[in-house]
Amino acid sequence: MRVSLRWLAEFIDLPTEAELVERLTLAGFEDVEISSTGPDLSEIRVGLVRECGRHPNADRLSVCRVDIGGGELIEVVCGAPNVAAGQKIAFAEVGTVLPDGTKLKRAKIRGVVSTGMICSDRELQLGDDHDGIRVLDPEAPVGAPLPEVVSIGERELEIGITPNRGDATSLIGLAREVRALFDGELRVPETEPPETGAPASDAIRIEIDAPDDCHRYVARIVRGVRVGASPDWLVAKLAASGIRSINNVVDVTNLVLLEFGQPLHAFDLAKLSGDVIKVRRATAGEKIITLDGETRELCTEDLVISDSESAIALAGVMGGANSEVGDATTDILIESAHFHPSRVRVAAKRYGLKTEASYRFERGVDRLGIGRAADRAARLIAELAGGEVAAGSATAEGAAPSFTEEIRFPTDRSNKLLGTALSKPEMAALLERVGVRCTDAEGEDLLCAIPSHRTDLHRHQDLSEEVARIHGYDRIPVTEPIGVLRGVERPRLWRVAESARDALVAAGLTECQTLPFLNAEWLEALQLAADDPRCRTLRLVNPIREEEPLLRTTLLPSILRIVQQNRSRQLGRIEIFELGRLFRTDGAPSQWGGDLPRESLSLVAALAERDEKGLWEAPNSPPLFFKLKGIAKKLLNQLGYVAWFPSASLPPHLHPGAAAALEVEGVVIGSVGELHPDVATAFGLDLGCAVMELDLEALQALPQREVQFREVSRQPSVRRDLAVVVDIDQPAGEVLEAIRKTGGKDLISVELFDRYAGKGIAEGRTSLAFRLVFQRFDRTLKDEEVTKSTDRIVKMLAHRFKGELR
Amino acid sequence: MPVGADNLERLEEEARREIAAAESLQALTEVRARYLGKKGSVAGVLRSIGDLAGEERARVGQLANATKQRIEEAVGERRGALERSDRDRALDAERIDTTLPGAEEPPAGHLHPVTRVFRDMVEFFTSMGFSIEEGPEVETEYHCFEALNIPEVHPARDEQDTFYVEGGNVLRTHTSNVQIRAMTGRTPPFRFIAPGRVYRHDLSPRHYPMFHQIEGFLVDEDVSFGDLKGVLYAFGRHLMAREIELRFRANHFPFTEPSAEMDYACLLCDRQGCGVCSNSGWIEWGGCGMIHPQVLENCGIDSDRYQGFAFGMGVDRTALLRYGIPNIRLLFEGDLRVLGQV
Repeated sequence: MRVSLRWLAEFIDLPTEAELVERLTLAGFEDVEISSTGPDLSEIRVGLVRECGRHPNADRLSVCRVDIGGGELIEVVCGAPNVAAGQKIAFAEVGTVLPDGTKLKRAKIRGVVSTGMICSDRELQLGDDHDGIRVLDPEAPVGAPLPEVVSIGERELEIGITPNRGDATSLIGLAREVRALFDGELRVPETEPPETGAPASDAIRIEIDAPDDCHRYVARIVRGVRVGASPDWLVAKLAASGIRSINNVVDVTNLVLLEFGQPLHAFDLAKLSGDVIKVRRATAGEKIITLDGETRELCTEDLVISDSESAIALAGVMGGANSEVGDATTDILIESAHFHPSRVRVAAKRYGLKTEASYRFERGVDRLGIGRAADRAARLIAELAGGEVAAGSATAEGAAPSFTEEIRFPTDRSNKLLGTALSKPEMAALLERVGVRCTDAEGEDLLCAIPSHRTDLHRHQDLSEEVARIHGYDRIPVTEPIGVLRGVERPRLWRVAESARDALVAAGLTECQTLPFLNAEWLEALQLAADDPRCRTLRLVNPIREEEPLLRTTLLPSILRIVQQNRSRQLGRIEIFELGRLFRTDGAPSQWGGDLPRESLSLVAALAERDEKGLWEAPNSPPLFFKLKGIAKKLLNQLGYVAWFPSASLPPHLHPGAAAALEVEGVVIGSVGELHPDVATAFGLDLGCAVMELDLEALQALPQREVQFREVSRQPSVRRDLAVVVDIDQPAGEVLEAIRKTGGKDLISVELFDRYAGKGIAEGRTSLAFRLVFQRFDRTLKDEEVTKSTDRIVKMLAHRFKGELR
Repeated sequence: MPVGADNLERLEEEARREIAAAESLQALTEVRARYLGKKGSVAGVLRSIGDLAGEERARVGQLANATKQRIEEAVGERRGALERSDRDRALDAERIDTTLPGAEEPPAGHLHPVTRVFRDMVEFFTSMGFSIEEGPEVETEYHCFEALNIPEVHPARDEQDTFYVEGGNVLRTHTSNVQIRAMTGRTPPFRFIAPGRVYRHDLSPRHYPMFHQIEGFLVDEDVSFGDLKGVLYAFGRHLMAREIELRFRANHFPFTEPSAEMDYACLLCDRQGCGVCSNSGWIEWGGCGMIHPQVLENCGIDSDRYQGFAFGMGVDRTALLRYGIPNIRLLFEGDLRVLGQV
């Protein structure tokens, strides 16, 4: 909300601007700021006319030398008759943008160069006076920006009001708040109208057909008004609050809305048919043209004001065009009512009409202020537009709104809640400041009468907030909680995730986080089968980007897109991972119950590389698949698991010949592999890329393990290298496993250290070189024992793999 | 020629000269052999003293032995010097260019800034006895709003910028849903933190549709707003690693009463006003308050017996300020040139 400070000062004496901003901010108002309206004159400076002489070529012009504190005097030509040496003036240097938007240039005026301008009021847009320059206070400091010495426009208070404080959305409401924080006398404007006409209730009858939606309806009638322009002061007050002037009648209703926070509406009485105002629900399909010119088809959830024939207003939101007050209007009906907040809110939302009226009704208006606001409007209209105010008002009551009139306030509990030690009288004094009348009750209790405008106070905790707010949160002592010591619980999934992050960072990968929104095309690009559960996605009703409306069921698209984007940033080596939740609706029950999706924490890692070796990189680093496989193995090892990499059940986004599943304790929990070239192309990747997916939720569901210590032997070990030539499509892992099994318990390690095909090896064959280490715990191995074992292995290799020693 | 002291002195002088002139261990060995070897000069002197009378022989013999020992010492010293200079030469030959960069193998990986800040926060709160709770990101309107006193028909709902999911659920707009889920079915006392990801339908220069919060709440019979302040001061000191100044401003959150927003005094300008704090001297930190009795009741907790505090703050802003990252988008665009710095 925005209000003129000068106007606010009509209601209560104000402290300094700085104090006002500070205290209102601490008392619960947001983004409180005071600023000036009017032109931006911060570039205009105070200048001193040191010399002033005749222009050599023009009688009416002067040539002045002006001091603006820069050391040198500036020479300008001035046409004003009142300019004289010794004056302090408003000076615009060359380059200054004037309020009308023009940028001041150096000019030659009748042969004399003018480097700047001495400004008149009109040039500064401070008034219409163009007969002479503005002469400033002789005390104004030379060189100071003009806004520091001249008051420009209105000082305006901008203030954010939280939704619970409907009572503060008015001048009087803000003035009450100022009183609570600074004391002072509230000056409430006169409301009593001069009643001269016949009783309003003779002319109109109010019927409330929807009593739950409308608690009270008051209609005042003023006859014989002259609709016309509003006086300047009224236009200015409304303008300060961002409301455009319409005519004197409508402007008065808006003025009273700003003063009291009570929305009003003026109808042209002559345009109403019948002598009844009805407050009723709209019929299905009923139409109304609202004041903004839109035709709106209503539904039975809408509350309307109608005459005997049709709807004349959407209650609490906007009036109808059919009853609009115009230049020809002479008799008016002023509506002041209390509509149910949610009824107004629903309609305002449905039709996208957030008006000054709906804003206030939604937050709750003062149930006892309805008549007063109508009175005030009638009085002002009579004053400004003439006319006779009909005696009294036509009123009707609906069901009483829910409100709290009195709260029993246990001051001891309040102290316990706040951590304060305020006495009962101190508490009462603080509450009295916000208009809560306190009377003593038994024990530490106070009986608190809640003012009708405070629709937000219902429980003693609400009053505690008032106490804290006025007393000051800063004055609540800082203490430390005392309580039962309990062991901290950290979910296993959390720990597994943290461990996975550490393992990947240790392996040189960088963690990314991305939005969990998917484009359907990205899922297609992954080549998923139509019945793939990841195609069953949840959709956002209001996505942030229209083309990305799905909640992700896989982390692959985002990581591949990040690879691609980094590639386009010309990075040659991209090693990244992301942890994020997948939102699954594939039938897996939600861990949170209800109809929520299953949220599975998943991990994806990607290695992508262009063949551009850096200074310290190994010239023959392993292919990306093996690098990532090694990382996966280590990651799982650190969690105490042994990873297996079977080549069955591979996901379709991977290269069918360069991928493996990731299996732990007999459960497949992910995959690792080179990206399928079609997928790589679909994501615009022009470099090798391997990806790993790991279902962390499945992983944490496995029995918890720890790495287990294995005895180390003190006996010397014996090493044998063995190169065997096998068919080129023979999986080396099988050979290695067979060697391990055949070697017996003395074979403590087998490593494949080389794989070679080419010169010296027959076509279709490959050489696998293994390093075998034998060792016993009880004694040194004899050479012939090792030879016996290796012979057995060689025989087995020949038999099972057609292996020949190289 | 009689062998005398003069001869020995001359001999020693010559030997010393030659020792000093020996430029290599090899040359030195040769010099030593010439003087001290079996056929060397000193041995010659000793051989010749057999001709001398007993007393004189003893004297010269003593002198000769002393000379031998001194020459031996001189040789030893020279050998040491030569060995040292040989070693120096060898070391010099092995000199490397230490200005070449340190090898990072594997290249350093990086945790996401948000993860780093989360860890720091979680470390603090677990040390204070707060357990970790998590909740769904796709949430029911009940848990996200209604149970927290934010009914559909209330204007407070407008402040939420909610993403709606087809079928009626929402993306949680705050981690406060975890309050409801964690408190329901539990009996106080308890203290929890809920770190997590939240969503608001807002993409603007200062906002991103996704960000992170940490929620904390403690319920017991006797816990006050003062205790809340105490915990937040301790947390702030831990997080900023220095003394901090907090400011509590009254505010409205439907799920706390009393409610406050907290700011910390800008660490860059010490409240003088700078670009980071928009010249206000304060940086918004989060919201907090005493849990609304209705919220406790919604979770089946007796609000006459128990009360508690709750707070929530953004994580991303702390990460931005800590690492001097100018814009929240940079956190989530996956640019390795950005993420690789932190």
